[in-house]
Amino acid sequence: MSRFTKMAYATSDDMTFGRSKKPLSYGLGIKVGLGSVIPEINYLPRPGAESSRERLVKEYVQYITQDCIKQAVNLGFPNLQLETEWIHTMSDDLGLAASVVSGQKEAITNFHEKYGINLAVRHTVPDLRDASYGLRAGMDTNGRPEKVIECAEVACENGADVLSIESLGGKELSDYAVTTGDITAFLFGAGFLASKDMESLWKELSGICKKHRVIPGGDSNCACSNTVMFMAGGHLDKDVQKTFSAVCRCISAASALVVFENGAVGPGKDCSYEGPIVKSITGMPISSEGKHSHCAHIDLFGNLTAAITDMWSNESVQYRHEFGGTSVQCWAGLIGYECSLMNTAISTGTEKTLRDLYTLSDRGRSPEGYILSYDNAWKIGKSIIECGNSHYLRARTAGITGAKLLIDGYNNKDIGLSRKQLETLYKIIRDLESLPDDEDVFLDMCIRKYADVRGFNIKNYGI
Amino acid sequence: MLDTSKVDFNSIYRRYDIESENFNMPESIVSRMLPKNPILRNIAMAVTYVRFREVGPAVMKALQFKIDPQTIVNEGLVTGMEIVSYLYAHHIYYLPEIIMASKVMELGISIAEKVMTEELATKGKIVMHVAEGDPHDIGKNIAASMLKSSGYSVIDLGKDVTPEEVIDAVCNEKPMMVTGTALMTVTLSAFPKTAKALADRGIDIPYMVAGGAVNRDFAESFDMGIYSKKAPQTIPIADSISNGSSWREIRESWDDIVEGI
Repeated sequence: MSRFTKMAYATSDDMTFGRSKKPLSYGLGIKVGLGSVIPEINYLPRPGAESSRERLVKEYVQYITQDCIKQAVNLGFPNLQLETEWIHTMSDDLGLAASVVSGQKEAITNFHEKYGINLAVRHTVPDLRDASYGLRAGMDTNGRPEKVIECAEVACENGADVLSIESLGGKELSDYAVTTGDITAFLFGAGFLASKDMESLWKELSGICKKHRVIPGGDSNCACSNTVMFMAGGHLDKDVQKTFSAVCRCISAASALVVFENGAVGPGKDCSYEGPIVKSITGMPISSEGKHSHCAHIDLFGNLTAAITDMWSNESVQYRHEFGGTSVQCWAGLIGYECSLMNTAISTGTEKTLRDLYTLSDRGRSPEGYILSYDNAWKIGKSIIECGNSHYLRARTAGITGAKLLIDGYNNKDIGLSRKQLETLYKIIRDLESLPDDEDVFLDMCIRKYADVRGFNIKNYGI
Repeated sequence: MLDTSKVDFNSIYRRYDIESENFNMPESIVSRMLPKNPILRNIAMAVTYVRFREVGPAVMKALQFKIDPQTIVNEGLVTGMEIVSYLYAHHIYYLPEIIMASKVMELGISIAEKVMTEELATKGKIVMHVAEGDPHDIGKNIAASMLKSSGYSVIDLGKDVTPEEVIDAVCNEKPMMVTGTALMTVTLSAFPKTAKALADRGIDIPYMVAGGAVNRDFAESFDMGIYSKKAPQTIPIADSISNGSSWREIRESWDDIVEGI
């Protein structure tokens, strides 16, 4: 069992964008965390493109891939990473998927040879598993868990440079938690069960990557903590308390860390908003999204997430035509120029100033932004590694630390909170602190308490 | 971190979430909306204040006083839920209160139903599903919960549902509306195909589509399609259908139906 027990960075101020303690070189000249921030463009085909095999391959390879790279060359960007998040049509037809993967590889190779632009493709395979049928191999008569592994094999065999997934472990409890406001359920699902699932899943995925010499990029707690974040929404949204969302983010950092203890080396997934906490511990490069992901969803920390990132992404944008070109060209331009700004800051030695400007512009805009501010992210990371081996205690401590940082910030007039946001925090702290210190006792308690939650089956987690 | 001692953050961002907080306490609003009958009042209060332990005894007491079970449901439990919806609409309650209150209401209904001589009247039946290939079902689940607590009968087909399964369910259940949600763009194509297959079978009901990948233009691009941007909008749209509106009429008056939600 491998666990991080030390912080990669001695102080939070040591963390900046574009540099990581454990940089990576891969693909066609891509260097991550070695002094520059790399744009990572993410896209989805148009509805209807899946109607035939030929049409979908053409959409991905001839339209999306070529449009993205041509735009990068047109605008003078030295680097570009593409991310293909597989759609179900690809997992349903692995021959089709292989054609997309190999087609993209061939396209980036041609552009690299012609223009010298540094390129790579991350393939994010779908987590097809359904907790109701079984998350582990042999449990689901439809073979969904096995199919996920097949997808990873196909991606790695046919030319992926980086492999990622957005795993769904613990989602059944997380969905229950967000709709009922039950932080213990979230801790159990997204903190404890997701850790168990990621541990099992990533041992296998990193093995596949090793076999094919592909970079095991990372995972995301997207299914859990991003669902909470989306539902907490903007200032007009009143479904989920924003302090609840902030604490959920802290909890999810503890499970996101497990991926990097089981073979992943980064760059982490762009939608892993807990990335700053993970980077503070692992020193591995992260990819992040913020203001340029508003084509897919809003967040209240559009600048802040750039502060210590190593790649800058846009989240999935549907391929279509805009006045300025195709959507992927427009978004490639936006993220590429943002990286140019960050890389200029690095080159002129002013990266810490820009890092702080990114941070301060959003730090008080929302509770979740506050805890993801790099100084607070570092403190949450430190609280995690001081908890030893227990997945449960790491997640619980991260949640309590985040909640207390918010209360301290409120008392110091560093972050504003509404009355209900504050009440929610006090309740969260009460709930989390009243839980048992023993992981086994906690597990027994949760198995009984959440037995009726739809889809929950403890056997999914090897327990 | 840079020195911020002279920074006016109000010029950088404004916390509308704090400024717009509704400081009214539920009690100040609830008291004027509760039923006058003290027995039904207790039932409604159990729902409104999410009191799981109180709803059973409150319903039992009403039955002992020979109050008609349908009245217990409509004037006690449903009234309680209507108050919860009001508090939610005015940002005093959040989503968890709605979901938990609906569970309290369902518990109360299950007790009342045991002594009913006729099937519990509902406002209508709705078939719900998430598109094939899409595992994201939280929005559908929230809408289902809200619809049930608003008096609708829900047939929930779950997630990753094939068009054939939807068609079979609609043919068998004969709902007043079918809903489909999708977060991923490439799963959308199933909706117009399913709608056409239903039309070919002579079925002409509103087909509500929703979810991150769906927009109003898409929803109204095929016959039967209507749009819901978010779960709470599902209720007034369903109410309009229950009152006789066709999918064409829903489209025409959509802005008015969902105004402010």
